[in-house]
Amino acid sequence: MTNETGTPLDDRLLLLLELMAGEGIHRAAEGLATMVGEEVTITRPKVVLVRLVELADTLGGAESEGVGIYLQVVGEIPGQVVMIVPYAKALELADLVLGVPEGTSQELGSLERSALAEVGNLTAAFFLNAVASMTGLHARPSPPAVMVDMLGAILDIVIATTEGIGDSLLLLDASFLRAGREVQARFCMIPDPKAIELIASRSRDSRNA
Amino acid sequence: MPNALSVGLGEMIISRNAEDVLVAFGLGSCLGIGMYDRRVMVAGMVHAVLPQRDNGGDPLSPKYVDSGLDALLKAMHEAGAQRDSLILRVAGGANMLVAPGMSSFMNIGERNAAVFAAKVVTLNLAVQAHDLGGHVGRTVRLYVANGRLTVRSMGQPERDL
Repeated sequence: MTNETGTPLDDRLLLLLELMAGEGIHRAAEGLATMVGEEVTITRPKVVLVRLVELADTLGGAESEGVGIYLQVVGEIPGQVVMIVPYAKALELADLVLGVPEGTSQELGSLERSALAEVGNLTAAFFLNAVASMTGLHARPSPPAVMVDMLGAILDIVIATTEGIGDSLLLLDASFLRAGREVQARFCMIPDPKAIELIASRSRDSRNA
Repeated sequence: MPNALSVGLGEMIISRNAEDVLVAFGLGSCLGIGMYDRRVMVAGMVHAVLPQRDNGGDPLSPKYVDSGLDALLKAMHEAGAQRDSLILRVAGGANMLVAPGMSSFMNIGERNAAVFAAKVVTLNLAVQAHDLGGHVGRTVRLYVANGRLTVRSMGQPERDL
């Protein structure tokens, strides 16, 4: 597959992004642990390329209720990141990061929303730090926006911005683990075409060096 | 049992089968545009994603609001619908991002609704009912058997439009 700028999102680039994601997620877990004062791990993420039209179904169906934590990335590698968690899982994730027993959060009030926003924020920030240390390209996330709605509606933001760029996007699967509890979250990564080009060219440079 | 047909992103479905229900699931900024002709019992729905097609793009692409309306009108005519008995309804066009500094960025929902409003004037079509804007997702169902069109949002009962 090729995006509009002609940069092939080939296997090698996917592998590179997976490597960066692994490193970024590792750092994000450290950041989360600092936030909650206890060990939190995030499993090594898997990066998959998903067709836009299949995105909602991959995540559980367009009408199913979920939570999206949306961040814009500004800097040398601009783009967008949306963390997607099904509604019930979002409650579990809030419990996990707030350090309360599973089942404590019954609805997403302002406390739970803030906790989830912070998860998205930290994960994105540490992820971008890892990308920066591997490529020398610097970027930072905007303050997060938390959306609670039908998945299709949340994903419309992603769809609307990527439709002009390509027909697929990068989906990153990761699980948050703390004290034997596990919650899976998905991250949709939507780098601007110029960001992909830059990352690809940096990786070429490092390979040729 | 009604037979639900999912109208996916950028798709259009026309049906004359009374068993069918055309459904656009989880619309955010997208528009679900429904047309129905009671006399011939034909229904059509477009799930439009973006406001306007690029110059040189498919003039009947259901992916865009403007070309999607053209496509829907044409396909309904071909299926036997008459302009004077057409019922046109639309839902969607929400702005899902309501964080500080982001609301004005990329308000595709509002642009979709604006292009829809302009296009129906151009086509000289009457809009029987609409449920546009706001900050909530919607699922839209159009029943071929009777032309009933419903809208459902999260935590809300399904309502007729």
